[in-house]
Order: sequence, then C-alpha cells, then structure tokens
Amino acid sequence: MRRILSLITGMTLFAGLTAGCGLNAAGGDDGLTIYTARDKALAESVVKDFEEANPEYKGKVRLLTLGAQEAAERISAERGRPQADIWWGGSSQQLDHAANDGVLAPVPDQVRDRIPERYRDEQGRWVGEMILAEVVFYNDQMLTPEQAPKDWDDLIKPEFKDKIIVRDVAASGTMRSIYSAMISRNSTPDNPEPGYEWLRQLDANTKVYAANPTDLYLRIQRQEAPISVWNLQDVMLQQKKSGAPFKPVATTSGVPQLIDGVAKVKDGPNGAAADAFLDFLLSVDEQKKLGEEHFQIPTVEGAGEPSWLAPLGLHEMPVDWELVGGKESEWIAHWSDRIKNQN
Amino acid sequence: MSAPVVQTRRRKLPSPDGDRFVYVLAVPVVLVLLFLVVIPMATTAVTSAGGNGFAANYGSLFGGSSGQALLLSLVSSLLSVFFCGLLGTLLAVLLHRFDFPGRRALSVFAVLPMALPPLIGAVSFVLLYSETGILPRTLSALLGIDAASTSVGGLAGVVLVHAFTMYPYFYLSVSAALAGMDGSLEEAATNLGAGRVRVWRTVLLPMLTPALVSGALLTFMMSMASFTAPQLYNVQTLTMEIVSARTSGNAALAAAQSTALSVVSIVFLLSMRWYQGRRVHRSLSKGTPSARRAPASAGAKFAAALGSLLLTVVLLAPVLVIVLVSFSVDGAWTTQVLPTEYTLDNYLEIFSEPQSLLPISVSVQTSLLATAFAIVVGAAAAWVVARWRKPGRGLLDVVIMLPWALPGTVIGVNLVTAFNEPGVGNLGLTLVGTLWILPVAYFVRFVPLVFRSTSASLDQLDPALEEAARNLGAGPLRVLRTVTLPLVMRGVLAGALLAFVDGVGEYVASVVIYPPGLPPMSVEIYNRIYSSEFGTAAAYGALQIVLILIVLAVSNRLGQGPRQKRSAAAPAVVPTA
Repeated sequence: MRRILSLITGMTLFAGLTAGCGLNAAGGDDGLTIYTARDKALAESVVKDFEEANPEYKGKVRLLTLGAQEAAERISAERGRPQADIWWGGSSQQLDHAANDGVLAPVPDQVRDRIPERYRDEQGRWVGEMILAEVVFYNDQMLTPEQAPKDWDDLIKPEFKDKIIVRDVAASGTMRSIYSAMISRNSTPDNPEPGYEWLRQLDANTKVYAANPTDLYLRIQRQEAPISVWNLQDVMLQQKKSGAPFKPVATTSGVPQLIDGVAKVKDGPNGAAADAFLDFLLSVDEQKKLGEEHFQIPTVEGAGEPSWLAPLGLHEMPVDWELVGGKESEWIAHWSDRIKNQN
Repeated sequence: MSAPVVQTRRRKLPSPDGDRFVYVLAVPVVLVLLFLVVIPMATTAVTSAGGNGFAANYGSLFGGSSGQALLLSLVSSLLSVFFCGLLGTLLAVLLHRFDFPGRRALSVFAVLPMALPPLIGAVSFVLLYSETGILPRTLSALLGIDAASTSVGGLAGVVLVHAFTMYPYFYLSVSAALAGMDGSLEEAATNLGAGRVRVWRTVLLPMLTPALVSGALLTFMMSMASFTAPQLYNVQTLTMEIVSARTSGNAALAAAQSTALSVVSIVFLLSMRWYQGRRVHRSLSKGTPSARRAPASAGAKFAAALGSLLLTVVLLAPVLVIVLVSFSVDGAWTTQVLPTEYTLDNYLEIFSEPQSLLPISVSVQTSLLATAFAIVVGAAAAWVVARWRKPGRGLLDVVIMLPWALPGTVIGVNLVTAFNEPGVGNLGLTLVGTLWILPVAYFVRFVPLVFRSTSASLDQLDPALEEAARNLGAGPLRVLRTVTLPLVMRGVLAGALLAFVDGVGEYVASVVIYPPGLPPMSVEIYNRIYSSEFGTAAAYGALQIVLILIVLAVSNRLGQGPRQKRSAAAPAVVPTA
C-alpha cells in the first residue's frame, strides 16, 4: 500500500517536473504557425524554401498537418484566441464557409492580385493556390487501358459491378465535390433526380466505401477492386512516392476541376509573418517548383502549366460550382439517407 | 450462509458526525467537475438549439437516417457489451482461478489489445480479416475456400474490433473483484454441500455484479462513442452522422446528435445503477482470496498451456500485424498472404529524425499527469457517491460518466470553446495553445475509468467496516487511510492503468486541441498515415505498444509487491490480480 502510494507520488512529481521544463508550449509572438492539409513532404519542402528565403524565420515555423475539415473546425473553435496564422489547403466551399463565419483575414493585396478572379474570393479573404482535377483512376496491374473505363458514365455499366471502391463521401470534401459535380452534370438545376439515379447505379457498382484516403490506396493496391475516383495530385504523388500502380484516366467528358486554396487567419499571432509566407508561397518560382515536383496545377498567373500535365490529355468538365456550393449539403444528405448502400 | 456475511439489501446506518466528511470532500470534487465537465457540456447543449432550430435538429432523430444510425449504434453497442463481457470475464476467471504454464505471460498480454493505436489498430483488423486479409487469404490458399466467404465486414466487423479491443474493461474490473473476493465465502458454500455450479450462481457471480456492471457501462458507452471501427467497416452509426453533420458545417445538428448520444448512454447508466441497486452483495470481511487451482494431470496442464497459447495468438494477432507492417516495405504487400519484403528503414527513419521522440514524451507526460489527477478526483468522487445519503447521488454519477459517453471530438471542441479566452465561466483561464490542455482533456475523458472501477470495489465493501473503525475512535481520514483505501486500492489501480493506457493512445480529442509543434503520439501516427507513410506509422504504433507493454509489466510486478512475500497464494494487483 505504502509502496504504491509513494510510487504514485513519485510519478506525479516526475510528470509535473518534466511537463514544466522539458516541453515548451508552442505559440507566442514570433515565428509562424501553419495549419495545413497538404501532403507532409510537400509542406515541409515549402517551409524549408521559405526559411531559406527569409532567414529571420529559420526554425520558427510550426506546421500542423491535419485534414482540411479538421483545420476548419480548429480555426473556428479557436476564434477567441487564434493559434494559427495560415490555413493552407481547403476547398473553396470550406474556405467560403470560414470566411463568412468571420475567422479569415484578407490576404495582402499584392498576393491577391496575382490570382485571377475566378480562382479567389471576391473580398480576398482566401485565394486559390491550385486547381485540383478530380479523376477516375485504376490499378494497372489489374486492368489494361482497354479494359479500364474511358468515361464517368462507364462507371455505372454492369461490367464494372463490384470493381469500384470509393472513399466514404460524406466525411470527405473531395468526394462531396465529385459527387455533387456528378449530380449537377446529369441534372437540371431544379430537378436533381437524374443525378440521384446516376449515383444509385454507381452505388450498385461500388464494392465498398473506404474509410480514409490511406484505406482507399491500400485496398486498391491490395487488389480488392481495380477502380476508384480521387484527386489527380494524390494519385500522382502515390505513384511517385510508393510506386503505387495507379493510372489516371483522361475521361472523355472531362474532369471536374476544383479550387484548393490558402487563407490568412484573422487576428493570428504573427500577421506579418503570415503575409511574408503567402507572398512566398504564391510566388511564380515556388509555384512552378510545386507544379513540377508535387503535381500541382498552379493558379498564379505566369506560373504556366507543369510539364507532366499535357501528356495526360485531361480537359476540364464544365460544372456549375455556384449551384453545387448552394446545393451540396442537401444533395449529399439525400445520398447518405436514400442511396448509399441501398442498391 | 447469507445472513451475516452477504447482505441482500442496503443497510440503513445512523448518520454520525463522520458522515459530514463526505459532504466536505464533495465540495471540491463537485467544483472540479462543474468547471471541467458541466460548463463545457452545457455549451454544447446550447449549441444544439441553433442552426435549423431545436425541433428540426432533434426531430431528425426520429425516423430518417439519424434515427436508423442511432438504432445501429445501440445494436452494435449491446452486441459489443455481450461479447466483451463473455471474453473478458472468461479470461479473468481463467487467469485468476487456475494456475497453468504460461499464465503470467498471458496475464500481461491480456490487456495489451487496449494499447492498439486507434486508427492503425482498426486497419490491422482489416489486414487480418477482410477479403484481402491474412486469414481469408490463408484459408483460400490452403483450402481453396473463396476469400469473400470467410471475410468479416459490416456490423460483424465493428463488433469484432470492439470485442477484441474493449474486453479489458471487463477483464480488469472482474480481475480486481476476484482478487478482492473473500475465499472463505466460497469455502463455506462448498462445505455446506453446494456444487461448483451452485457456488458460482449463488455466491461468486452475485459478488461480481458491481464489476460486471462497471465493465458493461464502460464498454457500452465507449462503443456508442466509437468512430474508427464504424468508419472502417462503413457502418452508419450515430458517430458517423455526427462527423458528416460537422463536415456539412451543421454544428447545431452535430451538437443535437451528440446530446442524443449522451442521453442514450445516461439512460443505460441509470438503468444499470437501478439494476445493481436492487441486488447489493457485499462482503463484510477483509478479502482473503481463494487459492488458484492447478490442473491435476500432466495432460490437463498441457491442454491448458496450449489453450492459453492459442488464446494469446488470437488476442495478439492485431498487434502482431502492426509489428509486421512496421518491418515491411510500403506498398510492397499487395496480393500475397504475408509481406514479402522486409526492412528496418521505418524505424531508422523515426530514430534519425531529431524531433521524432517528442510525441512519445508528450503523450507519456501528459497522460501521467492526467492519470494522477484522475486517481485523486475519481477515487474521491467514487467514495462520495458511494456514501452519499442525500438526493443527487445519481446526478453526480451521471456528471462524472458523461465525458466517457461523448465522442472525443465533442470533448475537444467543448474544451477549446470553454477555455479559449478569459471569461467568467473559466475563471479567466486560457488553455488553448498551451500544453496544459492535453492533460486536462485526458483527465476529463478518463476520470470515469478510475471512478467506475473504484466504485465497483467500493460497492463490494460494506460501510459497516468503516463504521466499526469509527466506533473504535478513528477519525474519518484515518478510516479512509487504514480501512477503505487499502480495500479499494485494486479498483483504483485498475482504473488508473486503464486511464494511462487510454491516455497514451487518445486521438480523437487530442487532434482538436494539441498545441502546434507538440503532437501526442496518436496524432503523429495519424499524420504519418495521412501522408501515406504507412510503414513509419506502424513503427510508431509498435513503439507505443512496447511502451505500454513495459507499463503493464511494471504494474504487474508492482502488484505482486511485498504481499507476495507474506503469502505465496496471494494474488497480484493489476492486471494479474
């Protein structure tokens, strides 16, 4: 008994002491804190470049890698005492939502002016950093290019029954956008029913819904099924990083293109550093580099098109993103309630 | 035999001066809980009336997908309780009533599945039992059975993951109860001519009721709040609905769904309390545990050893899969039964990065701190609730258990909302952005573990023992120190162990609150998975498991302590008990 009590006291003291002096809480008035949904290796390489270009921030940049939705939730919850300076990586819908919620500050004018109007918020509260192409891809160890689907509409053909794995839709910004794009493409603005019918047939062909991106990659690599839909950048990064046998399809009706952006957090602790980082990140040189090495399609004017893009032969699918923005919640809720797993 | 020793209903005691001590102790406990649990929770309840309005938010729970999700959560939780209860109790009885070769090792491994890092732990179940998993692929390679027919998925998958990761809640509390049980009761019953079955039915099982109730409560509430397994097996439970409501930006609906989730858990809690209250079984004597039985013949010994080896392998399989992945090359394991290429790179990568040990340090320190506070507050609260004679007893119980019933994200968001700027509700305290918010969150989340398991021990203990000490002139503190605490220490420690282990693995709340630059271990694992460094994620997972294994081994040794020297038959505390 006494032994146990003294041990407990000892452990408490140890924890108290080390917590007091061993770990220093981050935050504070210098440096820069970035919440990012970008690939970790990509984000780290950008921070390295940034620190080289701005030596005064060397070793003072803190990166927090998390999902875009988690970043949104965190920034919103911390509004009373903002911890982040930058939110890097989020869909235009998520960024719009946060901007209207009053947690984002306008980016510096000279940064905003580098981005064409169609790729940013009107008031400059966020700017698009890249265009995310949403593609069909397949495991090329399981299918030849001839056997693979050629267009989105092929996905609902009977021959692909149980050959498709989809990342669970409701919890993923990317998937919500893809599914909404499919509804808007097949429907008229006031009647989503044909779009629902298309998704019903897709659900019938879907073997399983993967829990998260990694689960999706694993299942396709382990040959549970050959086909999926996801964003082009991640597909290409997987291919390059771990040699995943993923091959994107240049769908005949085009690929939906989303804007993925970056924003400055309102009243973040290091506003000046945030401005410097945005200025650096959205510079033509850095964007060119990201385009070539990390498969981004830049929005910044003058950064041009990366060399790997043209050979893929993709072209944009026209999507009414304004309509999608307004209807997405309703459509996805209907899909979750009435379509998912019921066909 | 039941009259003097085992009581069948609560004893009415006079209320001497010493009882005031209960209420004195209650004040700080209530204040702490008010501050850290009730106020943040009230904020969530207020949020649930926003958005589309109170009626619309709660109306969606009747019929529609939220209603179905609630039903599914309920079914999966009840099934999980059943299977965890079966597995945990059997294992506890096996390890504490019988002596056989390999028992000591198995008793350490028995708690290990709890140490599975949440996300990667669930993935390891998929790698084992899904259509492309090790088991179905082996069966298909050896026997030619179609892999699809032997795979586990859907609801069965969720229950499988829950059963194999949550049974320690039963195992530990039943173990503590068995260890604290008076062996003379059993002997008396046997001497009076009762057969083995009858002894179990009329003496042992009733005495285990508090422990079983405690295990059932913890498991039920945890399954209700579970998210990783339903997501991985694509079962649309209420927690999935909450996440999807949040993703759609409908925080009010998410808050309403969270509130509904906690209401169901509270109803379960109250009904379990009512059930337990109807049949109180306490021991008046100080526990002299019954001796462990050794199998008679060599054949039985061999069978027992073989059986425990098999059991160990089954229980440890998910852990072994993580270790296997940590040594395999990312992306190389595709259609084969087992990985074909092995490497040390994943570990080298962790140990060659200067900052890589930081997450381990963050997790260990914050969990230790949280556990220490949880022991103090949880044990005190358990005692207050057990000895409380005025109305409000159930309310206090509910308040403490509430955080356990809520999804971690809700706890995290609650804390961030309550402590992000100085205000009246938080006494001017801001925790956001400091390291202190992690121990506070772990404390809030895991104090129910210490509370529940201490309560189970206390419920076995008759207040007349304390009464006797007081009548002999001992002050209330002295009674606590010399009578109550030694007798419930096993329960306190079992709870503390659970709290620490869960703290080291906590992910869902941590991810919402951890300060920039100081990620706890589970968050680091998730980040690696997120950036598709699956191998290094598994390597981190393996390190976490090793760490917890060390803690278990130490606490096991500790439990044997000086007691062992006095009597060879006396059991260890935790988890061998």
